[in-house]
Amino acid sequence: MRRALAGLAALALLGASGAAQQSPAFSSKIEAVRVDALVTDNGQPVLGLRPADFEVVDNGVTQTVDLVSFDEIPLNVILALDMSDSVAGDRLSQLRAAGGRLLESLHKEDQAALVSFSHEVRLAAKLTGDVAAVRSALGESHGTGTTSLIDGAYAGLMIGESDAGRALLIVFSDGVDTSSWLRADAVLDTAKRADVVVYGVSVVSRLKPEFLRDLTSLTGGRLFEIEKTANLPATFLGILEEFRHRYLVSYTPKGVAKDGWHKLDVRVKNRRATIKARPGYLAGS
Amino acid sequence: MIRGLAFAVALGLLESSGAAQQQRAPGSGMLLPATLVEAGRIERLERWMRAVARHVPGEQDAAFVEIAGWPNDNLKPLFVDASALVQTIGHAGVNAGATMTVRPAGQKTALRVRYSTEQYHRLQVLACAAGGRMLEKECWQIKAVDELDPELRQIAVLARASYLRGDRNYLVRRAAIVHSDVAMLAPGSMVAPGSVGRPAAGAVERFRMEISDGQELDLHQSAVHWEIARMLLDFVRPRGSDRADPGHDDMVRQWYRATAAWMQLKEDHDKIHLEHARELFPSDPDILFLAACQRETYAGAPIQTAVKSAFLPAGVVIDVASDRAELRDAEAFFRRSLDVRSDFAEARLRYGRVLDRLGKHVEAAAELRKAIGGLTDRQMLYYGGMFLGAAEETLGNRDAARVGYEQSAELYPMAQSPLLALSQLARHSGDRGAALRAIDRLFALPSEERNEQDDPWWWYYVSQGRDADVLLDVMQRPYRSEVLQ
Repeated sequence: MRRALAGLAALALLGASGAAQQSPAFSSKIEAVRVDALVTDNGQPVLGLRPADFEVVDNGVTQTVDLVSFDEIPLNVILALDMSDSVAGDRLSQLRAAGGRLLESLHKEDQAALVSFSHEVRLAAKLTGDVAAVRSALGESHGTGTTSLIDGAYAGLMIGESDAGRALLIVFSDGVDTSSWLRADAVLDTAKRADVVVYGVSVVSRLKPEFLRDLTSLTGGRLFEIEKTANLPATFLGILEEFRHRYLVSYTPKGVAKDGWHKLDVRVKNRRATIKARPGYLAGS
Repeated sequence: MIRGLAFAVALGLLESSGAAQQQRAPGSGMLLPATLVEAGRIERLERWMRAVARHVPGEQDAAFVEIAGWPNDNLKPLFVDASALVQTIGHAGVNAGATMTVRPAGQKTALRVRYSTEQYHRLQVLACAAGGRMLEKECWQIKAVDELDPELRQIAVLARASYLRGDRNYLVRRAAIVHSDVAMLAPGSMVAPGSVGRPAAGAVERFRMEISDGQELDLHQSAVHWEIARMLLDFVRPRGSDRADPGHDDMVRQWYRATAAWMQLKEDHDKIHLEHARELFPSDPDILFLAACQRETYAGAPIQTAVKSAFLPAGVVIDVASDRAELRDAEAFFRRSLDVRSDFAEARLRYGRVLDRLGKHVEAAAELRKAIGGLTDRQMLYYGGMFLGAAEETLGNRDAARVGYEQSAELYPMAQSPLLALSQLARHSGDRGAALRAIDRLFALPSEERNEQDDPWWWYYVSQGRDADVLLDVMQRPYRSEVLQ
């Protein structure tokens, strides 16, 4: 969860260079907390906010916001896609089309990765700036087997954690978990420690997508429950657009414990706004 | 595909207050007015007898094909008539009356049928042949031998030979094997037309829900072959016994062990099957083990999610409880199995996992350590490492947890679950570097070389049935001789 403040300045460079590992630039002396926040007013993104416009309360202690970035830091977009038995035919085509449209919409500096999961979790394409390679891997993926949604989501989170870039994890599943080894609560614990925003896309059924709901909520993302996968391309693009409209708010925590759960409250001063951000983070990890 | 897609569950009726599962003796409980048996049924029963005697267990021969081709509309009356025939074997020649009572397992009400004088006479003749009793006074009195064709006489001879060896169950055992063979080897014949709903009073019914990846695919009526087989075996008289006492018959025990193992291997679940087996063999460690495994499986996500997502007709419920309730049953059955056979390492392994899932982590770790000490099978040792690792992790013993997961990873180097577990354990410990290294090991597994056998976790819920073929062979072997030619 905690990252060195120095690292923030290095983010763009790291992202652009495609470095997969942490940079030595991350000092452990000064630690910063990053919070991805979506600020809207009547459903429309609020633009042009500066650090002074934000108020962040960490475990009840108001913090000083050091840095606010908006649409400046390259993205690491990780797709974790359900490739179980049920994803076949039109649904598979629509999923591939959605992934393809999203990949086409990435900026030159952005990176992408593809995790496919059925019962088996595969890194179909590692995190790379070579979007064509990711698109090619997407075209080769096909559905077979049962659903290890929790395992697949964990793998996606870890890819997000493997690079200092700003990570967006999009998890698609048309079912619920039936074969993961990992427990939902353990992966949610990981999500609390990670600087990865998770958006979930689930196909409506009688079963509630509780894990995806919790995962997206804990990371400040959003869950889309769609009736038909024909809408998938628009949904994926909508997620990317929304994510690009988010602010990356950074502060160096003061006056709070160095570990444990930190409840976060992010506000915008002096104006009406709805803010979507993660509800807290696990420090010391 | 790593998991069987279909499973059958007994559907309890809300009306029957939880669907009493135990077999009740015919004659007890609520009785309905007797219905007249329509023409042609005894002739069908006769064809059935011939097919039973001709069938070679385990083979898809002509007799098998004939029985497999019978629609459920024929099988349901056969259930009644076969029951009447077997009841008559014990009383052939005695003027017991042409009204018979049959109670399908799990049904509250019994069915009463009345055969015409001619039908009942023929039933008695067939019973003389099937029971190997042609030479006995009662069968002479009705001149049974004069009414048999050569084939039925040969059946009578074979049944007599069995009788003289002390086994009075020639037809019953073979018939049970035919019907279980059809149920296992001809799954297509198990799908029956007709809606799913409240069964007619006293009628034998079977419904089947097919699932894939935790979601319902179909709900339909199912042919009643398993019901016929169980009903028949309830009439087995062990050697030296003058009355039906299947709970003391080794073939019946072997049949339940083998068929229940097969059901779990194929994920063709049937709760009534094992509940009836437990009633007959309450202290059999293998039956208790399989019953426990079934409940553990029912507590797993594939079954729980399928049941929660199912669209059921009004008044119909699936007899699967909540995951915790199923786990508690599993715990009790594993415990009882271990009480009988304390060195049953696989039962202890699963018992430990169930305890862990129930939140009894200290007990779980102790049982798992004890189980691992008695295991030699690589697959079981893999489970041992994973389950002990999980229990130790929950207890905060991260080093011990890591050891367990690493041992499993060494046993199955291509398995993903130990690597996920190691990564998550490290991440939970705040060691992001180790977490990334472990997940990189997973990502480095060569995709093109991975297959469904790589990770035993993927087939944990069927692994208890891995010896089903051997068990079936052992059970069926004695009945591959003395087949009607």
